Amino acid sequence: MSWLDAFVQWTGWLGLDYRFLLDAYERGSFVAGAWVTLQLCLCTMAGSLAVGVALAAALVSGRPWLAGPTRLFVEVTRNTPTLVQLYCAFLVLNMLISEVIGGANPFTPFAWVVIVISLHKGVFHAEALRAGIEAVPQVTLEAATSLGFSRRQRLWRVELPLAVRFALPSLVNNLIELVKMTALASAIAVGDITYASILIWTQRDNVLELMILILLFFGLLSFVVNCLGRGLEARLRMPGYGH
Amino acid sequence: MPSNDSCAPLIALRDLHLSFADTRVLRGIDLDVQRGQAVSIIGPSGSGKSTLLRCITGLLRPQRGQIRVGDTAVHELRSDAEFIALRKRVGFVFQQYNLFPHLSVLENLTIAPCKVLGRERREAQDEARRLLGKVRLEHKEHAYPGELSGGQQQRVAIARALAMRPELILFDEVTSALDPETVGEVLRTIRELIEEGMTCVLVTHEMRFAEEISDAVYFTEHGVIVEHGSPRQLFNEPRSPRTRAFLQHALGRGERERRPLVPAGAAAR
Ligand SMILES: Nc1ncnc2c1ncn2[C@@H]1O[C@H](COP(=O)(O)OP(=O)(O)OP(=O)(O)O)[C@@H](O)[C@H]1O
Ligand SMILES: [Mg+2]
Repeated sequence: MSWLDAFVQWTGWLGLDYRFLLDAYERGSFVAGAWVTLQLCLCTMAGSLAVGVALAAALVSGRPWLAGPTRLFVEVTRNTPTLVQLYCAFLVLNMLISEVIGGANPFTPFAWVVIVISLHKGVFHAEALRAGIEAVPQVTLEAATSLGFSRRQRLWRVELPLAVRFALPSLVNNLIELVKMTALASAIAVGDITYASILIWTQRDNVLELMILILLFFGLLSFVVNCLGRGLEARLRMPGYGH
Repeated sequence: MPSNDSCAPLIALRDLHLSFADTRVLRGIDLDVQRGQAVSIIGPSGSGKSTLLRCITGLLRPQRGQIRVGDTAVHELRSDAEFIALRKRVGFVFQQYNLFPHLSVLENLTIAPCKVLGRERREAQDEARRLLGKVRLEHKEHAYPGELSGGQQQRVAIARALAMRPELILFDEVTSALDPETVGEVLRTIRELIEEGMTCVLVTHEMRFAEEISDAVYFTEHGVIVEHGSPRQLFNEPRSPRTRAFLQHALGRGERERRPLVPAGAAAR
């Protein structure tokens, strides 16, 4: 742990107080918080993409009884603050569920964060995917049909591959926003990196130092998502489209 | 060719009616295409030519009338399987956006034979390369559609239709999005197909080409066939004043603008 000592000493000279890193308990809770944030990111990414595909499918289904309510859900969800949605879900829904099924409520605060953010970001994914689907030229689909493709083949071999390519920049954008949105978890005391930091700085009064760490951590996560997105875009690039 | 060549047409349309909401697009179309024939459909924009072709391959369903392609009564088809069986026999080349932009030229040519007809991949690839040679694009098999000129894309689209070994091919204004330079190379490909005996229905604004290669020409306006006949008759002695007016307009302009499309064709005239 000598490099940690060196780090604390070195930052000390700069006037920054990172001594909590030398305390095994506080260091542990900070690392655990980072790990929780990472888990939140992975779960909400998967969840939001699944929600996005399902909602987009409903939006373009052409069935009014399905597309209508979905459109309403999309508008309500994207026009209300995520924090308020989270409070509603955790404080109201969760309590109702607890009252009905008693103490064995399976929904942890972690689960509520995943659900709420997945739904919220899923709405944005759905709109991006819808834009992608609608950008596929009608004639290209007709060409597939006229070659004898079944509906399924047309969807999986032509429509979706093209729609995902068109939607990919927006999807990556949404995912980067999603990474940062997971900090909301601290609002209902899920032990993510932000919450862990709050607990530490209320003891030590080293807000600036922890803020720097949080910023770096989220910056790094977003950067990784960004790179993965760029990589995927490059892999799926269609020559003659874009540049 | 079967002996009933002249009596049972490969395509027969009878009294076709189709409306989009309150727009009546087809208002009683009758049309026959014999096996091995090339039939051109000409007419002003919006007269329902594309709609007509879409009906033949079941992309649109007419409200009234009959469509026969060989033994198939297209107007009676219901299930997806029946339509797929029809579309395996009927090739279709659109004006634009035919090709799948995320697939290479070779993949564009093999995807339907492999996935729809269930052919072996290798066999489909060999066939695809042969067809690319036929449209003079053998060196482009690894290119993507976005890397080809409009004329090259249309020739790939024709090769892709051929890869299904269809009985007939429908061409919907396949040259109208192209510049005059590239029109020639696409028309040359189509002419070769016709010379080989492929049954073709062409919607076209290339009057000279239609006159030269067609066995029959149909002039349509406002969703009805105004007049049809041999190209010589229709282009030189049109019966209807409407046909005459349209041709005067179309040919008058075409004559001035266009060089001979293809040397061989020009010589024949
Ligand atoms: N999906 C549609 N919905 C409503 N109206 C349509 C649709 N498709 C075509 N139409 C209308 O039907 C008429 C005929 O269209 P069509 O595309 O068959 O014309 P066309 O003869 O092929 O014209 P062009 O030479 O310009 O291609 C037009 O008035 C058009 O507005
Ligand atoms: Mg048309």
